[in-house]
Formats: sequence, structure tokens, C-alpha cells
Amino acid sequence: MKVRKFVVTFFGVTQEVVGVLAIVFAYVLYYNLLHIRTNSEIPLEHVSIYLLLLFVFGFVSILNGFFLLRERVELDGESGS
Amino acid sequence: MNKSKAPRELGLFQAVMIGLGGAIGIEIFVLLNYATYLAGSTIVPVLFVCGIINLLTMLSFCELGAAVPEVGGEYSYAKAAFGGFLAFLTGWLRWISNVFGAALAALGFAYHFLYFIPTAIIPVDRSLLVALIAVAIIVVLTVLSIRGTRQMGAMIVIAFIAVFLVFIAGGILYGLEPKLFYPTTLEESSNFVAAVTYTFLMFLGMRAIAAGGAVVKEPGKNIPRAIILSAVVLMALYCGIAYVTISIVSLEEIAAPTALPLSIAAGKILGEGGAIIMTIAGIVAALSSLSTAIMVQSSITRGLSRDGYLPKFLLSPHRRFKTPHIVIIFGSIFYILFAATGVVEFVGSVAAFASLFGFALVNLSLLKLRVKKPYLPRPFKVPLYPYTPIVGILLSLILLIFIEPRAFSLGVGFIALGLLAYYLKMVGYHRIRISFGGMSLGIGGFTTLLAYLIGTGFTLPLALSPQLTAILFYVLIFVSIISILAGIFNIVSKG
Repeated sequence: MKVRKFVVTFFGVTQEVVGVLAIVFAYVLYYNLLHIRTNSEIPLEHVSIYLLLLFVFGFVSILNGFFLLRERVELDGESGS
Repeated sequence: MNKSKAPRELGLFQAVMIGLGGAIGIEIFVLLNYATYLAGSTIVPVLFVCGIINLLTMLSFCELGAAVPEVGGEYSYAKAAFGGFLAFLTGWLRWISNVFGAALAALGFAYHFLYFIPTAIIPVDRSLLVALIAVAIIVVLTVLSIRGTRQMGAMIVIAFIAVFLVFIAGGILYGLEPKLFYPTTLEESSNFVAAVTYTFLMFLGMRAIAAGGAVVKEPGKNIPRAIILSAVVLMALYCGIAYVTISIVSLEEIAAPTALPLSIAAGKILGEGGAIIMTIAGIVAALSSLSTAIMVQSSITRGLSRDGYLPKFLLSPHRRFKTPHIVIIFGSIFYILFAATGVVEFVGSVAAFASLFGFALVNLSLLKLRVKKPYLPRPFKVPLYPYTPIVGILLSLILLIFIEPRAFSLGVGFIALGLLAYYLKMVGYHRIRISFGGMSLGIGGFTTLLAYLIGTGFTLPLALSPQLTAILFYVLIFVSIISILAGIFNIVSKG
């Protein structure tokens, strides 16, 4: 049980962090913060496809993390009762 | 929603007050601007037609309110008639309509409140700031005591009628002349219909009578009478107000979106005192509309949560005040978001979109219930059945076409969101988890492939230095491992 708790917590939190970072990166790219878009020579017309990919990835990642963290809460409830 | 066990204690007068209280709000103060811009001097017939169209659906509300006298209004009717998705959609549309109605009220409050504050004091983005303050005040008030804010109803309605009557009488005594300030835009009939669509919100609060049908004495007799009386009073008041306003205020004076046509007209008729009273009336109307919208939104959200369409935790009451504070705060996030757009026309149009769609469903519910449950007690029946509800449906759908395109798109987006929420609820948690696990697995596979291509020297369409390319490679490896393993854990889970 302890191993399972650790695994779901680790992967859940990591998925959440990765998902949030992907969305933050999408904003950084869109607003060209730190000149990241210019330095990477990404054409403006390609930005929308990058944004779409990053948002979909971030969304799926956050939800996957949520499911794992919810399992952790349920495991806590089971061991508590 | 749950059957109300409250005693039937309201008579015809109180029922009319409920209808007028629901309908008289910020709409007449803030929507007249753009509606006049659209319809020009035909604004009076626009309001008359709008009232008549509303009345058609209100007749359906009458029959349904008496046959299904339950708290929840149209959601209850659709639930009795169809259940399932259409009931959910009706509740969802009502929720959207109320959220945007609240945002409209917050903006209305901002515009009227700013009348008293010189530009020098708050030089930037004043509307947004005051809109946020308005929402915050009402949210706090509602969380603390819903009962306290409700008790103001009848008093406010009588005060409003008095102010409006003084305004109209003052206008007549002022000596109204049919000044041709406004271009007649009837040659573009679409403008006329668009104005009807836009002003639709001014009347639809009358449905409050049907929603509160559970506490009205002799509902079969009083609810229909109350709705018809409310409609007649409103049409007379609004047409009078519009006539006086367009006879006194020029198009240039109300050209700015933040202009207050009623306050300007009252100032010309009754002097500075009149303008101040009308502006205060606007503030009270805004607060009243905001409070009503928050309460209705909270009631609908709780109903949808209770029926399992939304998460149950939304139902939790506040430990001390016993109010549904989570629902109220949840909704207030949306009011603030939409009030932050600062565009009355846009917010009003989305609210009209949701209401019109909802009206079509109400008429559809009536048709279905007549067939499905003919044994229901119907002390009042819609005249000229089935033509009246069919005309109601057709008119609602026709008016929908004339909604401002951006507002229409957002409304459709909200419906899609509702569809998704409904679908997810129906599919069940476990299946959703498996499907997202599968998506994660797919993403993991894709990132692995990408990492492989970079590792084998594939040239990306990015100008990255070798160091950055190496970092990207390791990031992709890390992400693919996490995604694949997290996906597997979600797929093989038992919960």
C-alpha cells in the first residue's frame, strides 16, 4: 500500500507540474517572453500549432495527474478507516 | 429540483410584484442605448413587439407553472417533460443566462456609480474596478444572508414604478414633440429584429412568477393573471420610458457605451435632482438584478449538483451562515470574468442567446407534456394550442439568428461545454480515467518518437543550439517516461 501511495503521489505531482509548465511555456511562447520565439526562429504563423499542442498536452497531463492524486486521497481514506 | 414544501401564502398582488421585481432591473437602464442605436426612432415598437413575443412564451410558463408548481422553473418543466439531456441543457442555459445577467448588472452598477465619481479620482479602468467591487459586495451579502437581500423586493418594485411614472409624466408635461433626432433604420428590417433580440432581456424576468409558483395561492388562477398583468404593466412602462427618452435625448448624447440615457433624460426633464434620483435608481436596479441573478444561479447549480450533473461538493453549506457559499463563489468567478470584458452589448447578447434558447425549450416542454402527461392538473391552458407554443419556438429560434456573432459563438461554446460535462457524467469516472490514461500513453509514445528523431540527428524546424537540443532531448525522454507510466497507472486502476 505504501509503495502504491508513493508511486501515485510521485507520478501525480509530476504530471501536474509538467502540465502546468507546458501551459506556462505556451504563454511564454505566445507573448514572446525572454525573446524565446525570436531566438528559436519560430514563424508567427506556426505559433498557433505549437500553442494547440502544448495546451492539449498540458490539459491531458493535468487531468492524468488529478486522477492519480485522487487515487492517493482514496487510499488515504481506506487506510484511515 | 426538490419539491418545495413552503406554504402557499402569496396572492395575486404579491405574484405581480414578483413578476415585476424579476423583470424591472438594470436592463432598461443599460440596454436602451445600443437598442436605440440599432432601431433608431422605432425603439418604441421594438419594445412593444418584444413584450408581445415574451408574452407568448409567458403563456407557456403560465400553464407549466400551474401544472408543475415546483421550485426551479424551466428546469423543472424540462425535467418533467424530457428528463435527461434536455432537462440538463435547459438548466445549463438558465445558468448561463443568469451568469451573464449578473455580469451585466455589475457593469450597470459600475456605469451608474461612476456618475457620482469625478474622473480625476479614478483615472484608469474605472468601470472594471467598480464592477468588481459590485460583484464582491453582492457575493459577500448573499453568502452572509440570502434572506436579508430577498426581503427588499416589493419595496423596490413600488419605488421603481413610482420613479418611472414620475419620469413619464414629467416627460409629457415637459412637452414632448416628435423630434426627429434619430435616423429611421426600418429600411434595414434586420436592425429592427436585432433590437428586439437585444431588448429581450428586459421582459424575461417575469418568469420569476412561474419559478415561484410553489408559494402562490390558487396557482391555476393567480399565476396566469399575474404574468399577463406584469407583461401589460411592463410594456406600458418601457414603451413610455423609451418614448420620453428618445424625444428628449439626442443620438449623440447616448452614443458612448457608458452614457446613461435615462439619467440624461431625467436631468433634462426634472433637473439635476431628477438625474441623481434616476442614477440612484439605476444603482439599486443593478444591485437588485445582481442579487437575484446570484440567487437563481445558486439555486440552479445546486439543482444540477443534486441531480448528479455537477460535483456534489458544490452543495456544501457554510458552517455558520448555512448558505451555499461554494456555489455562490463558484458563480462569482464567472461574473467577474465576464464583467471584466466591460462590454454591455456583448454580455447582454450572450444572456439573450441563452434565454432565447431556453424559451424554445420551455415551449417544447409544453408540447411534450401535453402528450406525455395529459392527466396533469392544468387550471390554465395556453390558448390556440398547439400554435402558440409552436410560434413561440419559431420566434425564439428566428431571434437567435440575429444575436451578435461573437456572443452567438460564445453561447454555442458554452452549450458544447455543457454537452461535454453531461457526456462525462454519463460515461462515468472509471471510463474517463481509462480514456485519459490512453491519451497519456499516446502522448508518451509521441514524445518518445520525437526524442528518438532528435537523438538520430533529425533536424527540427527550430533554430536551437546544440546545447538546447540536448536539453530538449532529455526533457522529452523524461516526459515520455512519466506520461507512459502515469498512463499505465490510470489504465490499470480499479477505481
